Amino acid sequence: MRTAVSFPGPVLVRERSAAHRSLQVAGIVFLALLAVYASTLNSFRLGQLTVALLYATAIAGLNLATGYTGQLSIGHSAFFGLGAYTTGILVASHNWNPLVTLIPAAVICFATGLLVGLPALRIRGINLALVTLALGVAFPELVDRFPGLTGGQIGLNINVFQLLPPHWTGISIANRFQYYYWLSAGLLAIVLVLCATLTRSRAGLAMKATRDRETAAAAFGVNLAWTKMVVFGLSGAITGVAGSIFAIYLGSLSADASFTLTLSIVLITGLVIGGVATTLGPVIGGLAVYFVPYWTENIRQGEASELIFGVILIVLMFVMPEGLMGLITRLSRRVLRIEPQPPGQGQPTVDGGSSTVIDHHEERNTA
Amino acid sequence: MEFFLDRLFDGISNGAIYAALALALVMVYRATGTINFAQGEMALFTTYLAWGLTTKNVPVAVCLVVAAVAGFALGAVSERVLVRPIEKRSLLATLIVLLGLFSVLNASDGLIWGKGNQSMPSLFPNTLQSYVSVFGARLYWANIGVWLMVAAVFAVMFALFNKTRLGLQMRATANNRESAALAGIPVGRILMLGWGISAAIGAIAGVLVTPLTPDSLGLGEMFPLLIYASAAALFGGLDSPGGAVVAGLLLGVAEVMISAYVPAIGGQLQEAIAFVAIVAVLLLRPQGLFGTREVERV
Amino acid sequence: MTLLEVTDLKAGYGQAEVLHGISLTVGQGEVVVMLGANGAGKTTTLRAIAGLIGRRGTVSIGGTALRPGVPGEAVAAGLSLVPQGRGTFTKLTVQENLLVGATKRRDKASVAADLDRWYHVFPALSARTKQTAGTLSGGEQQMLAVARSLMSRPSLLLCDEPSLGLAPLVVRSVFDVLREINAEDGTAMLIVEQNAELALDLASRVYLLEVGEVVTSGAAADLRDSDTVRRAYLGY
Repeated sequence: MRTAVSFPGPVLVRERSAAHRSLQVAGIVFLALLAVYASTLNSFRLGQLTVALLYATAIAGLNLATGYTGQLSIGHSAFFGLGAYTTGILVASHNWNPLVTLIPAAVICFATGLLVGLPALRIRGINLALVTLALGVAFPELVDRFPGLTGGQIGLNINVFQLLPPHWTGISIANRFQYYYWLSAGLLAIVLVLCATLTRSRAGLAMKATRDRETAAAAFGVNLAWTKMVVFGLSGAITGVAGSIFAIYLGSLSADASFTLTLSIVLITGLVIGGVATTLGPVIGGLAVYFVPYWTENIRQGEASELIFGVILIVLMFVMPEGLMGLITRLSRRVLRIEPQPPGQGQPTVDGGSSTVIDHHEERNTA
Repeated sequence: MEFFLDRLFDGISNGAIYAALALALVMVYRATGTINFAQGEMALFTTYLAWGLTTKNVPVAVCLVVAAVAGFALGAVSERVLVRPIEKRSLLATLIVLLGLFSVLNASDGLIWGKGNQSMPSLFPNTLQSYVSVFGARLYWANIGVWLMVAAVFAVMFALFNKTRLGLQMRATANNRESAALAGIPVGRILMLGWGISAAIGAIAGVLVTPLTPDSLGLGEMFPLLIYASAAALFGGLDSPGGAVVAGLLLGVAEVMISAYVPAIGGQLQEAIAFVAIVAVLLLRPQGLFGTREVERV
Repeated sequence: MTLLEVTDLKAGYGQAEVLHGISLTVGQGEVVVMLGANGAGKTTTLRAIAGLIGRRGTVSIGGTALRPGVPGEAVAAGLSLVPQGRGTFTKLTVQENLLVGATKRRDKASVAADLDRWYHVFPALSARTKQTAGTLSGGEQQMLAVARSLMSRPSLLLCDEPSLGLAPLVVRSVFDVLREINAEDGTAMLIVEQNAELALDLASRVYLLEVGEVVTSGAAADLRDSDTVRRAYLGY
């Protein structure tokens, strides 16, 4: 199939070979160095990065449900907020150690995700989207409804002294933004590894089967109900923990300001910009949805960003449904290609990049 | 007795509102097989448009017509330009594009007409005295207007789908687009027509419903309505206009009765209740009360 | 007289070209059969002719060339496709299915007459006029699909694998009906089939498709009667 080439074709690297491993290690080292460099930036930048990385984590959570399992959720702002308020309430009213609150936050969000995923047993895409919409809309209202617990519309404030870096980190109060930054970067790293492992495993195959061909998946014994429910729970838990750290960083919560439907739309936009069903897409997406509005703030306040996000969503679906990560992957394939091992050697590999949730129509032809 | 009737009328009024928007959702589903996820925002946009015109002293009746026409155009164009090219990719892609439209419309409302809440003038006499007394309870003209609208739209939809050639073509298109095309049905035009009519219904509903409460024309107005209307449409079975109306009325009455007689629940918890209600119904009877069960052949 | 003329038809899905230049004709009142293995491109050919997918090459009916990808035009020119898998309107009743077939016709009286006729030809359908079509058996749906297509009074009927998934007795009756219609109304037919034996019985000419190209064509009788040719191409 090779025609006369004027440049060398892509470098082929066998998966799991020594060359592949070295590339992976090099990549991780590079990212680590990048992270360390970032921690030397000034407090303001660190604060920005912290929030951007938290968004990235939240999007990674959303990716599990929407990207890999095909269930559109417009209610993930509620999980983010739920995690944030859980931490906020436990620290402010009950003096918990902030880091320990991550556990109940994760559990509560997981349970809520299961509950929301429950309808997924019986209902298809659009209906689930409506249910999640209800969740996203209901959350700020519920927060306002119980001011005794949540501070209602006035908001919830946590004493800064409770959120300072603990002694064992060795970070001084003056440098506390480094602490928050490392919290968010660390969480993101853990979540990315978790998601990557999950999506490349058998469970990941089940997720994608559920997404692509529901009836066929069911016929093959993939337990649809469980898959959808559990994935939704996990997805909510991840986003919730990101919310927890958000609370630790911000120290002051107001549902009407931070945890409304708009945030859900922002998260979905980030997911699409970065690349649905990709491992690193959420990172690009998180950075994009934080920094793009920041750079365009001069144009107009508030509503303009919502408008821009809406337009971006539409345009991307038409022009670049695979997102930036998908584009990068496609282009980089011209230069470097990781080849799967021949069958019969080790676990089955799953190609994470080539089929996106967005584009099915090539699968539908018949002779 | 008077208290009960007052609440009942309130409930039926609210219910009629949900039913009105639900009818729009059912319309598009019955005619095309998809749901217009951005329906609420289209209705809000056209209502703002109508309101904007009333501030320029255009009579409300004219604004209503303009809103309906604008709604029709908005729906038809959205179908042709946004939905049709994307549909063949996947449901998720379609939903995302509609979510984008949702966002664009909502943001545009704020940018064009401002972020504050406005009061929408009514088509009918709308003062505190504009009511009819029934067994001592008050029945406001504006509310009667909404009921009439719902009844009229329902009657037209029923006749359209069951008695006309166009209606048959629409139902065929919604059921199996390819076979419809093979029969010579102009599928593209039918789809645009379905979305257009549905958006027009939504527009009319918006203009008639918003005046019922002063100061209620706001950016977030449509969210709870959309949820309730979707619940009503789903309860009734997405392809049953009658079901949507009945379900909408039931929802409205139930909501008011519960908050009237069980004061502990009220206000903001209503959304949570609707949410739980949707989930419960979908679990127990996915095709709703009156819908037809879908048989899926692999 | 040639009714359908297809010249150098090329079509495919996405990047993949499935048909590499197919040419065929169907004369007025003729029954032509297209045979070939799975994946040969038979369904694609019919879909391209009916305008469901885009194509290159020319397709003309009665001398008028059709635009690619516009099913309405093909129907207006007198063509009707009975799709693979029947394409039943599962949520509509049997009667409504038939009425949809006649949707382009203005003459109410003769539509009613046609309904009567097909109910007579397909008694199973007349017993179920108000039944939801999705609940019919495979064979009944096939009958319904054929009747629906004929409601538009086409001059050319395209049938995509009418025998697919049906019991042998039912298949036989389907082909009997097709023969009857061809005899009585003079409707030309282009039938795609895997069941070669029954199809060859009905047809006057045959095209054999392989990997998107016509590899052989001729009188059905010749193919049926020549042992070597038949064994080579059809394996029996």
